[in-house]
Amino acid sequence: MINSIRNQFPILKKRIRNRALVYFDNAATTQKPRVMLEAMDKFYRSQNAPVHRGVYSLAESATAEYESVRDQVKDFIHAAHREEIIFTSGATASINTVVSGLAETFLHAGDHILLSDMEHHAMIVPWQAAARRMKLKLNFIPLTKDGRIDLGVFRRMLAKHKPKFVGITHVSNVLGTENPVREMISLAHKAGALVLVDAAQSIAHAAVDVQKIGCDFLAFSGHKMYGPTGIGVLYGKKKLLERLPPRIFGGHMIEQVTREKTTYAPLPEKFEGGTPPVAEVIGLGAAISFIQGIGLKNIQKQENELTAYALRALKSVSGLTLLGPSSAGARAPIFSFTIKGIHPHDIATLLDREGIAVRAGHHCAQILHESFSLDASVRASLCLYNTTQEIDRLVSALTAIVRKFK
Amino acid sequence: MDNNDIYREEILEHYRHPQNFGVMKRPTYEAEAVNPLCGDRILLQLKVNPKGVVTQVRFSGSGCALSIASSSQFTEWMVGKTVKKLKTTGPDEIQRLMQAKIGSSTDADVHSIGPARLPCLLLSLYALQKMFEKEIQK
Repeated sequence: MINSIRNQFPILKKRIRNRALVYFDNAATTQKPRVMLEAMDKFYRSQNAPVHRGVYSLAESATAEYESVRDQVKDFIHAAHREEIIFTSGATASINTVVSGLAETFLHAGDHILLSDMEHHAMIVPWQAAARRMKLKLNFIPLTKDGRIDLGVFRRMLAKHKPKFVGITHVSNVLGTENPVREMISLAHKAGALVLVDAAQSIAHAAVDVQKIGCDFLAFSGHKMYGPTGIGVLYGKKKLLERLPPRIFGGHMIEQVTREKTTYAPLPEKFEGGTPPVAEVIGLGAAISFIQGIGLKNIQKQENELTAYALRALKSVSGLTLLGPSSAGARAPIFSFTIKGIHPHDIATLLDREGIAVRAGHHCAQILHESFSLDASVRASLCLYNTTQEIDRLVSALTAIVRKFK
Repeated sequence: MDNNDIYREEILEHYRHPQNFGVMKRPTYEAEAVNPLCGDRILLQLKVNPKGVVTQVRFSGSGCALSIASSSQFTEWMVGKTVKKLKTTGPDEIQRLMQAKIGSSTDADVHSIGPARLPCLLLSLYALQKMFEKEIQK
């Protein structure tokens, strides 16, 4: 099965520095399957037209394609209504829409916001900007030593700060930790907070059911789930999205424009000002079909095997310290680590010589690194097309690097 | 041992045992530079005699093998140079000292380093440049 999956990704045949590419930067962006590339190509070659306003055949068919992806996303994340699915440029834009909208309409000076130490900068920085503007108070849930959120600590922070909003990542982009979002959301709701889940790292790895977990908002990007860049999704409960102000003003998001004032279009158009990225939406649809074709259960099974294998294999590298949970289960195949006496950037450069692409740095999570007293780490993030042989290549390259630096 | 390799033993030895590593009291000049890539920072300090000649150099901070080894070699080179000379020193000097080849990431030559690592190599030069910027502003 793994070979037939790998064959669908043209880039995986590429050689880097005379070696077969090992692509371990999937938490940053995944590679693209042929079906996705072909769907976008086909759209531009034979279906390209502006959506929504044309009354000619080509525009009508483009609109139908575009809108059918909205239904597809709705089913994929089990939303109740199609107008709860907003196309954005990515998870960052989705989060910004929620944060600035809530700050403007729902929140008051002195209100508390609860985030966690494992949040991506995309969650932290918009709230810091809003907090400065609106005099909000930000609180951060600390992490356990093995990079998890303690529900007892979370409960106490809810009781102490009575936050109006909780922003939490489903899966950490550094630690791989899968947070118990369902329990957290239910606790947060009881405490009177709205909850936004950052699903950027979970959407391609585990089934996400917005009604089951009960989140008020959910954000993710297309390019981390085998789709194109420049497209993402904001899910929000209909009643909340109706009250949330738009963020991008312009064409298409209006109902009526006069010299005096503009009334806004209903959902989802209200949040989709300007000509949308039609080809990217179609690419996203193809990426979702690709995931569904393999099946999230199969993907999870394959990735859990990789996780168990990698956790075992990495233990053999002397001086290596893994961040985050050291056992498989409730964990994505993301492995961030440090090696004693060797800087993460040296490790990444030397791995590149072996054709292995990893990330070194803070991975847009400086607060997380600071909480572990680190400046940077090396991150190997895997997905469904990676293999145990590739993990072996990583481990033997790391072992050689350790030997070199001795 | 391949002498073209930026990670050759000589360079790693500078990383393990950097020259001029430490902090001096009452430097004539000092400045700190931050690597935008990773947030690593080094403090560079110079002692200069009345003739404008560098008599002592110290650097401190943390960094990768490339930034520590290049700072080690660059600070060795600075001793005995005039401030006037240092003000006109550019990246070529460090690339020469380190025998660094900057290549593209698809380069089959495994010994070159990608342009993304250039800031690591030049961290002590950034500090040096900042040092005299400050002086000019005074």
